Amino acid sequence: MISTLLLNSIIAGFIAGSLCGCTGTICGRMRLSTIAFTMAHAALAGSALSLLLGWNYLITGMLFAVFTAIILGPLSDILRISLDTASMTLFSIYNALTFIFLIMSPGPTLSSEKVGGILWGSILAITPTYLIILITISIIYVMVLQIFWGRISSILFDPRLAEAEGVNVKFYTYTLLILAGMIVVFTLKITGGFLVFSLLFIPSATSIQISRSLRGMILTSSIIGGLSSTIGILMSFILNLPVGSCIVIGAATIFAATSIASSIIRSRVIEGEGIEVGS
Amino acid sequence: MNREGQFLKLEQREAYAVELIDVSTYYYGEKRPAITDINLKIPVNTLSLVVGPNGAGKTTLLETILGLLKPRRGRVKVFGHDMAKRAQLVRKMCSYLPQDFMKDSDEPFLVKDVVAMGIASNRDLGRLGEEDWRRVYEALELVGMLEFAERPVGKLSGGQQQRVMLARALVRRPRLLLLDEPFSSLDRESRRSISENLLPDLVESGCTVIMVSHDLTFKPTICDLVVRMESGRIVEVAEA
Repeated sequence: MISTLLLNSIIAGFIAGSLCGCTGTICGRMRLSTIAFTMAHAALAGSALSLLLGWNYLITGMLFAVFTAIILGPLSDILRISLDTASMTLFSIYNALTFIFLIMSPGPTLSSEKVGGILWGSILAITPTYLIILITISIIYVMVLQIFWGRISSILFDPRLAEAEGVNVKFYTYTLLILAGMIVVFTLKITGGFLVFSLLFIPSATSIQISRSLRGMILTSSIIGGLSSTIGILMSFILNLPVGSCIVIGAATIFAATSIASSIIRSRVIEGEGIEVGS
Repeated sequence: MNREGQFLKLEQREAYAVELIDVSTYYYGEKRPAITDINLKIPVNTLSLVVGPNGAGKTTLLETILGLLKPRRGRVKVFGHDMAKRAQLVRKMCSYLPQDFMKDSDEPFLVKDVVAMGIASNRDLGRLGEEDWRRVYEALELVGMLEFAERPVGKLSGGQQQRVMLARALVRRPRLLLLDEPFSSLDRESRRSISENLLPDLVESGCTVIMVSHDLTFKPTICDLVVRMESGRIVEVAEA
């Protein structure tokens, strides 16, 4: 029984981690990091509301995340403030709402398993149905990237130039943001709402140090995201610690190891070049 | 008939590649227009030079032609198409080289991939084929950047990046090529080669070129029209 639960968790964690790593790199390239950050907290507020109202947290979380992705652009236009400012304002509002919804929820609140799962993740929440949905999302995501890669990579390089070449930048940006929202909501169950953002961006930050091409970056950030989740879940299982925190520690350890290794390699390359020049 | 065929047929019929009728464009939140009451007709298969000092509205003019900036007044037509309605479709047969294009050194894009994006952004689905990659390498060779194909674009100098972007514009085989200060970071030899060989060949092959320059003394070898701009207005249009 325990081994099946652990196996399901590891598979789900690896898929969710890979998706987060990949979408984190894409959002980062599109300069949409703050939007993704706000979307993660919107999903958290939505999930907290679902506890209060007794609704399905996936649907409410997704609605909040997608709604945020859609309104942020027009909101910054109407209020004449930058997208970053609009994102950070909404982020603060969502944090406030999360705590209000949680405190107002019926029954014992912050100590309950459901609330704990939403805030800092739980492997107990991973069911076979959840696993199937996660696999379906990852297939959709990979297909979208594969089919529209030419246009998406063009947007990631320079959205203004892509627009000048006839690419519907708004359409692809919103599609990617909505997919990011879905991924965030589903990963929330494993890492918890406060830490899901870390899984979006630590693997991405790590991949920058080891990849020269965009494809390489996406691939390595996906693998690092998957590995971080696997390490985190195993650590959580063995040490009986919150799974979300363990995943972030795993991701940060890989980041630190990669940073040290890449700086050593870089200094050796420079040394080698120096010797060559000197001789 | 496919979409490309429709454009070809249309282009044969149209005498003008670009028509601007009483066009005024404002930047968001600005009360004064960036370009005012522009009336301009650019014939097909010509090279036109737009000159004027900084802030004359040259870049705004190019971006208005492409529909990247929406004019508050007036109409813009490209190959007879109203850009207010069909901008996205028309842009597929245009190429644009933006001014001072410079990427940071940590950009994860290889030179060959950046050029290939010029073809890929016009495709509905799928990967590039052998023939597409041949075009990419040809374009890189044309601008003298073939040996840098596998290098990250951000590691190149400003002039080299500008040549890569020119290769991207050329690989699309555009019918309308808009160049915004294309020589700003180039050395004299590269300028001469592009001005004396590349641009005349392009016009010869059926492309309409509109080039912006703040250098009032610069003039390419062949030039059909010189448009002089000042303070957002066209002050002179002369046949060269």
